[in-house]
Amino acid sequence: METIECDIVILGSGIAGLTTAIHSSNESNRQLRISIVTKLHAMRSHSVAAEGGVSGVLYPEVSGDSIDLHAYDTVKGSDFLADQDAVEILAKNAPEEIRFLDHLGVAWSRDEKGRILQRPFGGMSQPRTAFAQDKTGFFIMRALYDEISSHKNVSIFHEHFAYSLIIERGRFSGLVCMDLASGESRFIKAKVCVIATGGASRVYGFTTTSHSTTGDGIALAYRAGIPLKDMEFVQFHPTALVPNGILITEAARGEGAYLLNSKGKRFMEDYAKSKMELAPRDIVSRAIITEIEQGRGFTHTESGLKYVHLDLRHLGKKIIDDHLPMIKEISIKSIAIDPVDEPLPVRPAAHFTMGGINTDIHGRAVADENGNVVKGVWAIGECGCVSVHGSNRLGSNSLSQCAVWGRLVGKQIAAYASSEGFNKGEAEKLAETERDRLEELASRESGEDPYKIKEEMQEAMDEYLYVYRNRVGMTRAKDKIEQLKARFSNVYVKDKSRSFNTNLRDVLEIGNLLDIAEAIAIGAMHRKETRGAHAVVEYPKRNDKDWLKHTLIFKNRGKIGLAYIPVKITKWKPVERVY
Amino acid sequence: MRESVISLFTAYVPMFGVPAMLYIYMLSFIPGLSFLRAFSLSLAMLGLLGFGIFGMRHIFLVKKRPAMPLFEEAETIRHGKDFKTPKNSKAVKFRIKRFNPQSKSLEEHEYSLPADRFDSVLDGLLWIKHTQDPTLSLRYSCRMGVCGSCGMVVNGKPVLACETNIWKNTEDNGLDVEPMRGHPMLRDLVTDFDDFFEKHLLVNPYLYRKAVAEKYSAEKEYKQTRDQLDRFLPFSYCIMCGLCLDACPVVNTNPTFIGPQALSQAYRYYADSRDQAGVSRIENVDLVNGIWDCEFSDSCSKVCPKGVDPAFAIQLLKAEAIKNDIFPQKDHQNK
Repeated sequence: METIECDIVILGSGIAGLTTAIHSSNESNRQLRISIVTKLHAMRSHSVAAEGGVSGVLYPEVSGDSIDLHAYDTVKGSDFLADQDAVEILAKNAPEEIRFLDHLGVAWSRDEKGRILQRPFGGMSQPRTAFAQDKTGFFIMRALYDEISSHKNVSIFHEHFAYSLIIERGRFSGLVCMDLASGESRFIKAKVCVIATGGASRVYGFTTTSHSTTGDGIALAYRAGIPLKDMEFVQFHPTALVPNGILITEAARGEGAYLLNSKGKRFMEDYAKSKMELAPRDIVSRAIITEIEQGRGFTHTESGLKYVHLDLRHLGKKIIDDHLPMIKEISIKSIAIDPVDEPLPVRPAAHFTMGGINTDIHGRAVADENGNVVKGVWAIGECGCVSVHGSNRLGSNSLSQCAVWGRLVGKQIAAYASSEGFNKGEAEKLAETERDRLEELASRESGEDPYKIKEEMQEAMDEYLYVYRNRVGMTRAKDKIEQLKARFSNVYVKDKSRSFNTNLRDVLEIGNLLDIAEAIAIGAMHRKETRGAHAVVEYPKRNDKDWLKHTLIFKNRGKIGLAYIPVKITKWKPVERVY
Repeated sequence: MRESVISLFTAYVPMFGVPAMLYIYMLSFIPGLSFLRAFSLSLAMLGLLGFGIFGMRHIFLVKKRPAMPLFEEAETIRHGKDFKTPKNSKAVKFRIKRFNPQSKSLEEHEYSLPADRFDSVLDGLLWIKHTQDPTLSLRYSCRMGVCGSCGMVVNGKPVLACETNIWKNTEDNGLDVEPMRGHPMLRDLVTDFDDFFEKHLLVNPYLYRKAVAEKYSAEKEYKQTRDQLDRFLPFSYCIMCGLCLDACPVVNTNPTFIGPQALSQAYRYYADSRDQAGVSRIENVDLVNGIWDCEFSDSCSKVCPKGVDPAFAIQLLKAEAIKNDIFPQKDHQNK
């Protein structure tokens, strides 16, 4: 097996991964050898699909906004589960990162004076979401990918699927990955690994995210013994297009769109009188589902899905063309509805994994509830849980999180990789064992159909761990996933080709999804309260006395363990969350 | 587990506990057994208390429909597309030309599948992969036309599979799918993008600033008016899907031509008011295999799914080269 040696390996090429690469390279005067390993072409990561914008207080002197207000909105949006010290870092550093992205060439939408425009967003008390039309993620990704090309010390391994993270004696040794084009396994030996593989919303069938958001990094870390934090909190975006789940950005409501039920009523006034459509996503999602459940939704003929209307007509053609062109393009191309003329059919869909790999405020992976770090492993972006989003993320905070921790982690790993050496051990041998296991999996002659397993998992998750959850359902979901995992151990890869074997890649992804689905179900079963995105019918109230704490889920020698760690509270004591 | 304990308690206390206590109470009227009266009464009190605690909880928490909707028997939120036969669907045939890396040739396979009026060619291909033939290899990710993965040729035209509706592109109940020919084929519908990315890098596609430290510290944003933004904005929509190279007659006959994608990006950065590279960007592409190889057939702009108009960008670059009086270099390698 080929061994590639470098100083830093970054797993994932979304906004978080690329930002980290740029800053670590810049910090070392472009000296460190940095590898980016991605299972897609680097510029195709799911970050390109981010639409609405990046939050950050850019012009406090003009708008009257403040860093503190941004932080408080975030904490309140998180239903007080966010670590407040981390939130303060986010709010403080976000403006600089927006300006940095401007320096890289992002085509920000501008006002007459040439300043970056900002729009209102859900749960934000001021318009502070900077945007580039409704393709913000795409523009940022292109700018970052292009900028990387000026760093000759950064090499990108396109279409390399990482399937094992090797940690020896609490320290990172290397990464085993498969080159999709040739089917060959490669061992990447490095001092530092930054996991930036994004979320896992594909555990659900009805989701806004790419086919590739299968939480591979989360599952790798979980299997390597690093705990996952707060996995029960999955964000459901209120407005996903029916029937395909494509995201209709919250910016549509930020620009002024209405949500209407089948009676033609703006029903949000019953749920969040002051913020209306711009309440945080968990509240809007619950409102839509309640309307549908009480018979005030529409039914989609082809798919049978129930939905409500998102009405943009009163915004007018000019606003839609200037600020929301992608929404228009997508609706016309995928469901033949022009939002200028007709309301869009929308319903909540899985959108964001608030939980993730347990990290400290610096983004370092933490091995246990006592705060012992795994040396050499960082996790940032959606796959990590710092946690700045708590139990419910506010729209546009995710991109700021990627950019802010991208720089912070980039600086740390540059220093770490310059001063530390490689881990001593038998990593190459372990890598070969992992490779042999993959070869065994790929060479089986019969077994279970992976796509059936995936379909059944997604059905169970969609049914039992959706916007509202109940105890019976959560137990059923967990049982179902256990059965599926047993079946998966005998999974069959029909494709025997070595070249671009997407069947084998799908099987590896489904294995990752099953691990994550299990963590979500277990975390959810144990949290006996309703907080943010986790709404349990039997426990309709938030319970700060018993549950103001983060869930940790471990996997240790096949056994699953739970632990809880306290939430860091600095300035803002939990109060009732009313909008 | 806890549910079953609770229901055991609530069911058996009334069934057996109450008659048993009544029996003991009656026994206590037999002379000599009066001490049982106090015993049975205290048992009854305990039983009532237990029933009160567990039973009431059981009734209120499990049995009664809570104020929030309960989803046990609620609708199933199905994907509805990838696996199931959707309603109002009709049968279509996909004739797929798959590239075989061993024999280095295209082999045609035919599949039939159900498609409803919303299904895209990508939905159809994934349906085939998931239910009929897992060995079908293709590249895809976002399914919303922004990642640029699923470029392929449908009915002879280079398109993004996720943006191409099946019903609208079906003739005689079928459609043809094949890999792009402007890139080396890898397997089935997957093509090799290495050369394409190399060409993109040739034009130095990043915002050039003289002061690198200032670029990275970012205390202030660069000012840019809406007019300045509009000069490069249309060219910045490129998703690097590679369809323009597939359509370009020059690329298909002369692989050394840098191609419409990279050249449009050269113009995108040249036209950005924040960029400080100036005419060196024009010099960089002012080559025989650069802008001057373009014969302006306009096919790249015709197929671009994001409306970038690379052909126009190349003509603008030519105009800039003439305006700046730059002589063409021989080709990129000799420069």
